[in-house]
Amino acid sequence: MTYYIFTLVFFLFDYFILAMGLNIQYGITGLLNFAYIGFVAIGAYVTGVASLPANVAGQHYILGLGLPFPLNTLMGGLAAMALAVLVALITLRRLRTDYLAIVLISLSLVLYDFCNNYVSLFNGADGLYNVPAPFAKTLGLGVNGFIIFFACLTGVVALIMWFVMHRILRAPLGRSLRAIRDDHVASAALGKDTFRMQLKSMMIGSFFAGIGGGLLIQFGGSFNPTAWLPGETFVVFAVLIVGGAGNNIGMFVGALLVETLLVHLPAFLPEIPGHPGLIEYIDLALVGIVLMLMLWFRPQGIVPERLRRTASFGAPERPDEDAGRLDQTAAIAAAVGAEADHDPGSGR
Amino acid sequence: MSVADAAQSAAGTAMSPALRCAGITKAFQGVHAVNGAEFDVPEGQITALIGPNGAGKTTVVNILSGAMKSDHGRMYLGETETTGWPSYKIARHGLLRTFQLSRELGGLTVLENLLTAAPNQAGDSLVNVLLRPGVIRRQERENAERALQLLEVYGLYRHRDTPARELSGGQKKLLEIARAVMGSPKVLLLDEPMAGVNPALIDVLGGYILALKAAGVTVLMVEHNLNVVERICDYVIVLAEGRTLATGRLSELRQNTEVVKAYLGEVMDVSAAN
Repeated sequence: MTYYIFTLVFFLFDYFILAMGLNIQYGITGLLNFAYIGFVAIGAYVTGVASLPANVAGQHYILGLGLPFPLNTLMGGLAAMALAVLVALITLRRLRTDYLAIVLISLSLVLYDFCNNYVSLFNGADGLYNVPAPFAKTLGLGVNGFIIFFACLTGVVALIMWFVMHRILRAPLGRSLRAIRDDHVASAALGKDTFRMQLKSMMIGSFFAGIGGGLLIQFGGSFNPTAWLPGETFVVFAVLIVGGAGNNIGMFVGALLVETLLVHLPAFLPEIPGHPGLIEYIDLALVGIVLMLMLWFRPQGIVPERLRRTASFGAPERPDEDAGRLDQTAAIAAAVGAEADHDPGSGR
Repeated sequence: MSVADAAQSAAGTAMSPALRCAGITKAFQGVHAVNGAEFDVPEGQITALIGPNGAGKTTVVNILSGAMKSDHGRMYLGETETTGWPSYKIARHGLLRTFQLSRELGGLTVLENLLTAAPNQAGDSLVNVLLRPGVIRRQERENAERALQLLEVYGLYRHRDTPARELSGGQKKLLEIARAVMGSPKVLLLDEPMAGVNPALIDVLGGYILALKAAGVTVLMVEHNLNVVERICDYVIVLAEGRTLATGRLSELRQNTEVVKAYLGEVMDVSAAN
C-alpha cells in the first residue's frame, strides 16, 4: 500500500515538473511542441548514462560517468536543453503553429527510431536498466524506503522548479513570451526578438523535461523506448489542458487529475479476468474522453491563466478615472523622453 | 528640386530627414506593389502618406518597419542605414509603428500591453530574472508608473486591468498608439489611424497626434481622410503605383494636376458627397 501511494506521489510531482516545462512552451509561448516526450527521454537517457558506471555487462551505452545525484540529473536537464537549441535552430526560424507541430512530431519519430536502433548510444530497444537508486545504499533504504524517500525528493525538486518557473513567468520575460504567443508580428514591432525569445522558452521548457525524465529513470531504475512512445506527449498535453494552460497551479491540478488519478491509479486495479492489459487501454481512452470534454466545455482549463492586476507592479494607482487633467504633451514627452536610453545592445 | 530640398522647404528649416527611403521596390509574385518609392520624412513634423488604393502605402510602411524586406533600395533611420534589418532591431532604434487592423496582445491586460513595449527591459534576460530580481522590480515599477500616466492621457486608465481583446475597436486604436508611445519612439508610423473610427474620436486622435509632434516625435501616417491631412499634417507624400508621385504641402499639391487626377479629385468628390 505504501508502495502504491508513494508511486502515485512520485508521478504527481514528476508530471508537475513535466507539465510546467510544456506549459512555458505551449501555454505561455504558444509553441506546439509535439516532440516533448523526446526531450523527456533524452533527459532520462543522459541521466542514466551519467549515473551508470563505465562498463556493465550486457549493456552498451556512451559515457558511463558514475555521477551521483544531483549532478547526473542536471546533466540530463542540460542535454535536453542542448537538444532544444538544435531543434529550435532547425525549426523556429521558419515555422510556426501547425507547421512547427508537424515538423516536431516528425523529429520526435526520427529521434525515437534513432535511439531504438543505434544500440551503442543508449542500449537500443532494451534501453538502460540497473540505473543506481540515489542514496539508497548510503541511507540503507529498502525498496519501500527508497520509494518514499525518492517521492519526497522529487517533491522538493518540484518545489524548487516551481519557484524558478513562477519567477520567470512573472518577470518581463514571461510577459514577452505571452506577447509573442498572442501576436508575434506586433511583438517584433515592439522590439522583441521573437526568435531568441522562443529559443529561450524552448530551452527552459526542455530543461524541465530533462529533469523530469532524469527523475523518472532513477525512480524506476530503467528506461527504454516503450516508455516514450510519441503518444506520451499527449498525456502531458492532457495534463496541461485539463489543469489550465498558462497557469502553474493548474499544472499541479492537471498532474493530480490526469497523471495520478486517470493514468496511474487504475494500473493498480485488479485485471479484468480474461482481458489482460485491457485496463491500460480503457485508461488511455478515458484520457482522450476527458481531453475532449475539457476542450468542449472548459477550454481554459480548471485553473485558467490569471491576469496580473495593476497593484502587483508596485506603482501607485492614479487618483481619478480618466480625469484628463494631465498635460498631454508633457506626459507624452515624459514617456518619449526615455529615448535617451535607446541602446540597441542591451536588455531585451 | 530634389526630394530632400522639397522636404526642407516644406519644413521651412534645414533639418536632416528622420526617415529616408531610396528606390524601394517590392514585388509580390511579379506584381510590383512598390516600384522605386523615394522620399524623405522631415524630422519633427507630421507627414501624410497618401495615394489611391493599391498604391503600395501599407507595403511601404511594412518595409520601413522591417515587417517585410524590400527587393531593392535602401532606407535610413536618421543617419543609420536600416536596409534589411528585422523589425525588432528597427524598433529598438526608435522607429515604432501601429497597424491598420489593430494587433492588440489579446491575452495581456491593457497595462501589460504597454509594459511589453517599454524599451531596454532587464527582465527579458533569463540571467537577470534569476539573479537580479530587485533591479527588475524597480524597473517594472518605474515602467508601470509611466504606462499608467499614458493610459490616463489616452483615456484608457479605467481599462488598465482589462484583457486587451475585450476592448472596443476604437479603444484598440488608442491602445495601439499608447503602446507605440510607450516604446519611446523617435519616429512613429501610423497605418491608417483614423480608419473605422467615429468622427468624434477622429478629432481626439488628431489631437493626440499633434501632441506627439509637440513632444518631438516625427510622425508618418497613412491617411485617406484629407480633412485630417489638411488639419494636422505639415507635409504630404503622394504614392501612385508604387512610385512617389509628388511631395509637398497639401495646398501645393492641390495645384498639381497629376496628383489631382491620380488621387485628390476622386477623394475630394467622395468627401464632398459626405
